[in-house]
Amino acid sequence: MSLGGYVVRRLAHLVPIVLGVTILVFFLIHLVPGDPARTILGNQATDARVALLHHEWGLDRPLPVQYEKFMGRLVHGDLGSSLFYGMGAGRLVVDRLPVTLWLIGFGTLLSVLIAVPLAALAATQRDRLPDHLVRAVPLVGLGFPPFWVGIVLLLVFGLHLGRLFPVGGYGNGFTGHLHSMFLPSLTVAFGIAPILIRSLRASLLEVLESDYVTTARSKGLPERRVLVHHALRNGIVSTVSVLGVNVGFLVGGTLVIEQVFAVPGIGQLMINSIFQRDFPVVQAVTLVFSVMVVLVYLLTDVAHALLDPRVRFE
Amino acid sequence: MQGKRPLFFLAVVSGVVLAATAALAASASPTHRAATPKRGGSITIARIEDSQSFDKTNVFQNESIWITEQIMEPLYLAGKDGKTLNPWLATGYSQAKDGKTYTFTLRKGVKFSNGKPMTSADVKFSIDDARAQAKGWGYLDAAIKSITTPSPDTVVFHLKFAWAPFLADIALFANGIIPNHFAGQSRKAFYTHPIGTGPFMWDKRVVGQSVTLKRNPFYWQKGKPYLDKVTWTFVTDENTRELQLRGGQIQVDEFPPFNSITKLKSTPGVTMNLFPSTRTDYLGMNESYPPLADVHVRRAISYAIDRAAIVKSVLFGYGKPANSFLPPQVPYYSANAGGLQYDMTKAKAELAKSKFAKGFKVTLLVGAGAQVESAMGQVIQQSLKGLGINVVFKQEDTSTEFNDIGKRNYQLGFSYWTMDIADPDELVTFAIDPAGGAHSFYTGYNNPAVVKLSHKAQRETDPTKRAQLYAQLQKQAASDAFLNFLYYSPYRWATSSKLHGFYVYPLGNYHLEDAWLG
Repeated sequence: MSLGGYVVRRLAHLVPIVLGVTILVFFLIHLVPGDPARTILGNQATDARVALLHHEWGLDRPLPVQYEKFMGRLVHGDLGSSLFYGMGAGRLVVDRLPVTLWLIGFGTLLSVLIAVPLAALAATQRDRLPDHLVRAVPLVGLGFPPFWVGIVLLLVFGLHLGRLFPVGGYGNGFTGHLHSMFLPSLTVAFGIAPILIRSLRASLLEVLESDYVTTARSKGLPERRVLVHHALRNGIVSTVSVLGVNVGFLVGGTLVIEQVFAVPGIGQLMINSIFQRDFPVVQAVTLVFSVMVVLVYLLTDVAHALLDPRVRFE
Repeated sequence: MQGKRPLFFLAVVSGVVLAATAALAASASPTHRAATPKRGGSITIARIEDSQSFDKTNVFQNESIWITEQIMEPLYLAGKDGKTLNPWLATGYSQAKDGKTYTFTLRKGVKFSNGKPMTSADVKFSIDDARAQAKGWGYLDAAIKSITTPSPDTVVFHLKFAWAPFLADIALFANGIIPNHFAGQSRKAFYTHPIGTGPFMWDKRVVGQSVTLKRNPFYWQKGKPYLDKVTWTFVTDENTRELQLRGGQIQVDEFPPFNSITKLKSTPGVTMNLFPSTRTDYLGMNESYPPLADVHVRRAISYAIDRAAIVKSVLFGYGKPANSFLPPQVPYYSANAGGLQYDMTKAKAELAKSKFAKGFKVTLLVGAGAQVESAMGQVIQQSLKGLGINVVFKQEDTSTEFNDIGKRNYQLGFSYWTMDIADPDELVTFAIDPAGGAHSFYTGYNNPAVVKLSHKAQRETDPTKRAQLYAQLQKQAASDAFLNFLYYSPYRWATSSKLHGFYVYPLGNYHLEDAWLG
């Protein structure tokens, strides 16, 4: 099967996935106790005002009828209106999507930048001090929860060391985003890099002992050229899959990091919408998350195939 | 040498990314104090929640209301003591002998931020619109029968009956003045970027991130406001807000937790403000649970709770035990309300008089992750153990907790109140009148004698007689122990020491026209 056909077929899988997610999320969020009207009205939540808001939002109708209306809107690309903000849920998600994509993209880039040199160092210095250090130190970082790592980074780089980075926020313009998103992205990278390092180190060790590497060495190629041009290219294939799985998890896992760093992404929107019982926004965010996860896995498979010609699209 | 390049390249890229982002760091500005207000500069206020809406007539969220108050102003406004009402967009009023007609004279020279002068037609439109909002604050204007405008600077309010809280109701933010017919826009469009006479005018909003207002060039208080712009951001994590303040990224931190107050007081560059508030925290007792319907049980619980211990251990001393369901910053608060204070002997005596003398099991709703509630719960659990009352915690996320209390699906639960108007009527009606719409603060309390006192106080325009009525009411309510009045606590705002003139009023709002950077 061609790459194009494969991608189209995988994208077609999105339809039943999205449908399943809508059913699951719609009924689950409505089963969760709590009432958006009482949350919004606060201490002024009299029964009469609560009833007025329920009627306005259509929450006084049977659940299947509400689902039917939701699906009716969805097929027209309308994700409904936020109960809290009173604006389109789709618009809210779209506005915040770039922020989360920045976090995931920058975090992934930093994790690769950290992992590849360290894994290569560990593999080439097998069982020596650098190898032990590379294998042990990142694991310590993996053991700390992201919110703790985030606070420490904020304290050190945002406050004490000459205020190198802003304490939270998204910044303005490309350089502003780069500056503001560095610490949250580094926190993301600290979570992924140890896994990548272990995976890549193991692959490299295996590849470095293979026949074609011995051949390359016997041709008199310098060790670094052997490592980068022959070993790393083949060794990285399985690490791409590991990275893909972790980025997939990251799509839903940026919630804590966005909270700590006050990054206005869709993770933060999701958390607040759950607390506010803002059903349409929770549904919209979940839909977007599910589509993103499917796309990340698709991209991973495509990248895997492009890196390894033996892989066929089926 | 060729073989080294890719690894070297990776190392260089990593280094460049680190160095480039670090190089963008901003330098701190010099610090100095100025003696007199200085014009210019911008501040950022970090809040725990994003703003919901700027429709002042229908929004109940403080993070929205406090911004609308910078844009739209009412005819009268509550003062710094939370009790007096001062002329604002009106210069004064006269009242007919029957107490049913109020004639206001409007302040001359007041303009909206679009440059158009404010007239009586704008006032009539604004209040008529506010009182028509059934799902909003309209109920507080229910006494108004009609509004007439005999001249451009005179507005006459005709009431259905004499209504003592009228002036306080008119001073409510929901009765802020906006241009007639929403300045030609739809209601929805208007409130996405409202226009008013306030010190600041709309600039921009990035939903979920920030709201920015800029100086209103037509503001009626000459020379004010001092600040060019004010931005409100949304930072849910309290640690991040504190770090932002210490780092100079924001100038105001909304509600730092009690356990950080002492530390912030001694943090260089930070002023820890504790403003007198109208906040009162309660332990609600749902009378639909049989033991709590017994007044002796409620009194026993009230006596058994060591409020001073709660203030000391939970609030770190930043508060004081409550003696009434009304706070001291509200007119007609009675210092002699007789709220039942800690006395285990009396608590045991009261429980012995009840049908549940041997004790019982009761569930206390506690917000998941709510540190203050959790700590208070433990103090209360220990206190009531001495009476043989077994308190079991039920943890719920705050939305579910709020919902269950509102639906009276609880036994014991925490709640609080801050005043919206400088008059006790709103809280009294909400708290003790079963017909007030909230089942007497969700407790089911119903004492017709207290309700009668409340109704009488609403129509009593003589302040002395009104004070007597409210004193009686508070005493009876305390004796009925329908709510456990736990403590009064201040509003907590940490600010940059460069920020001056920032003052939070007892009603919770602040006047940024007085704020300046020095």
